[in-house]
Amino acid sequence: MNTVSLIANGRKVSADVEPRTHLADFLRDTQNLTGTHLGCEHGVCGACTLLIDGAPARSCITFAVACENAEIITIEGLDDDEIAAELRAAFTREHGLQCGYCTPGMIVSARDVVMRLQEPSEHDIRVAMSGNLCRCTGYVGIIRAIQGVIEDRRARGIAAIPGGGRTSLGPAGAGRAGAVARASAAARIALKTDASETTPAPSHSASLSADWKPQMSFNQSFVVSHPVDDVWRFFGRIEDVASCLPGASLAGAPVSGHVQGRIRVKVGPISAEFQGAAEIDRDDATRTGRISGSGKDKRSGSATRGLVGYAVKPGENPGETRVDVSIGYTLTGMLAQFGRSGLVEDVASRLIKAFVANLEARLAHEARGGRSETLSLPVRELDAGSLISSVVFGRFRRLFARLFGRN
Amino acid sequence: MKPVNFDYARPSEVASAIRYLAQDGVSAKIIAGGQSLGPMLNMRLVQPDLIVDITAIEELRSVQDRSDAIVIGACVSHSDIEDRRVPDVTRGAMASVASGIAYRAVRNRGTIGGSLTHADPSADWISILAALGADVTLNGSGGSRTIAVENYMVGALEADIAQSELLVSITVPKLSASARWGYYKSCRKTGEFAHAIGAFLTDPDRGVSRAVIGATETRPFVMTDAAALIGDGRNPERVFDQDAVGRLCESLGMTDPIDRQTHVVALRRAIERAH
Repeated sequence: MNTVSLIANGRKVSADVEPRTHLADFLRDTQNLTGTHLGCEHGVCGACTLLIDGAPARSCITFAVACENAEIITIEGLDDDEIAAELRAAFTREHGLQCGYCTPGMIVSARDVVMRLQEPSEHDIRVAMSGNLCRCTGYVGIIRAIQGVIEDRRARGIAAIPGGGRTSLGPAGAGRAGAVARASAAARIALKTDASETTPAPSHSASLSADWKPQMSFNQSFVVSHPVDDVWRFFGRIEDVASCLPGASLAGAPVSGHVQGRIRVKVGPISAEFQGAAEIDRDDATRTGRISGSGKDKRSGSATRGLVGYAVKPGENPGETRVDVSIGYTLTGMLAQFGRSGLVEDVASRLIKAFVANLEARLAHEARGGRSETLSLPVRELDAGSLISSVVFGRFRRLFARLFGRN
Repeated sequence: MKPVNFDYARPSEVASAIRYLAQDGVSAKIIAGGQSLGPMLNMRLVQPDLIVDITAIEELRSVQDRSDAIVIGACVSHSDIEDRRVPDVTRGAMASVASGIAYRAVRNRGTIGGSLTHADPSADWISILAALGADVTLNGSGGSRTIAVENYMVGALEADIAQSELLVSITVPKLSASARWGYYKSCRKTGEFAHAIGAFLTDPDRGVSRAVIGATETRPFVMTDAAALIGDGRNPERVFDQDAVGRLCESLGMTDPIDRQTHVVALRRAIERAH
């Protein structure tokens, strides 16, 4: 618990809250200021917008503890505000609200637009208000209301204040208070356990129904400097293949193409561990294979289903093998809400590059007659961003020289 | 949508922030404005033991005006740049780009250092600062280092920063009077992360000619000597070779033709609408 003191609508208030308490919860739960609404709670919808040191900000992604000594103004604090009063009248006149859920955030953002923009066009106002979502009005009334207030004020000779009159640098609300030392929480950390070590992998079928369609799909391919027969044979050894995937481990030996296991993926500050099962088919005649599987990350409440197809064929040069991989997947839960398809592709491409590095090392080791347990694989953890980008950059410089005749 | 229960520290000096970050066995995460980290914490995609708030460190909220560059503290917000509370040395480039980041309520708290360290490929600062030739400076227990901004981002959501390091400032060179710049981002909705970004800078007096294709799936493609692509900046649209740029994108792994075209057009529009 931290004691947070700040000024809410001109009144000095203070309450003991956990550091994770965001400003909206602080105001609603400890000060009964329930005019600030929570919609999406991840900074997208704008319903929770209020003023921090005079500047509009999202109270759902601003922690109360970070606003020590700051001046907060919520919709309740705008009763006697001149611009807000004009906006309320204009919203009423223009039908700028229906259910009212977005209205507190709308008024706060609209007040900022009225204050800062001298002569905005309708388009300018729409852009400036685009961070506040309304599901009822279609925005027409809201925009008209704001436009009306601005025209009226400018006609009365009241000019805009560029920048809203702010003078200090840094996030709104920051810099009002000094240092806070970390509160001891040793007991809590000791209680924390790694879910992956205590929870057995769930036992379920990995097969996908015939009409399953992936949400996203993409293809990648890579070349291995080993003969096609060796690579195809290696791909049949599921445990060895898994050992080349950084972060992957199997729960046991595969039984007739069915395997259970987990894979840990780390992308920047996000780490996910998918536990699940996969079915593996191989066709020796065409040298193609299919891996279908599903898994869950309990930590983020996300789930994925996917189908990976691969084809092993001779490469351009003798003794080389080209592997074409097609990946189709569906991702649901929090990771899906956050992720964009491009990020998944980047992670997949990092994973594949790490896999290829390990595969090369492994095949070379075996070609020399080495035993697998004596080999230390080059990539054990997937945080290989720097490794990959240096490769890309090298290729890029050469290509640029070729295209434009200079470097 | 509540984060896990983390501890919180708000040091007032860089050295003390680094001490918090360097502790063994503690997953610590830096927060500045929290406009990218906040949603990830609320969704519990990130579950740290400790949040280190760096916004009480005064030097990170300050700006130094040097003869050839401006040094911007990591905690300077997007709206500080948009409103020109930070002196503009880029012929309006930074203020213009800042005004298009997300929404005003986000810009009032989101910071330039936070955006770069979050390393989202579609974010604005990484692309425009790479075009402007900016550097970032990091402090750690082992001392300080300065690297080009385009090398700071190593992949989607991965910056070249050690657990015990802190990005302290961004150094942006002052453009000369003859410099021209352009920036275009392709978004279907205002304020969303871009699908494609094109940016360029020509500053003949300083011998600088740079072009950037951003909002790729990974770090931006940065051409540090782009004279062949954009000429001397006087009539870049006459020099711009759309097919060559398309081939360049393809060779860098942008295989989807629509994606490639969107990026080529973003760079072309950046050049056509140069300032």
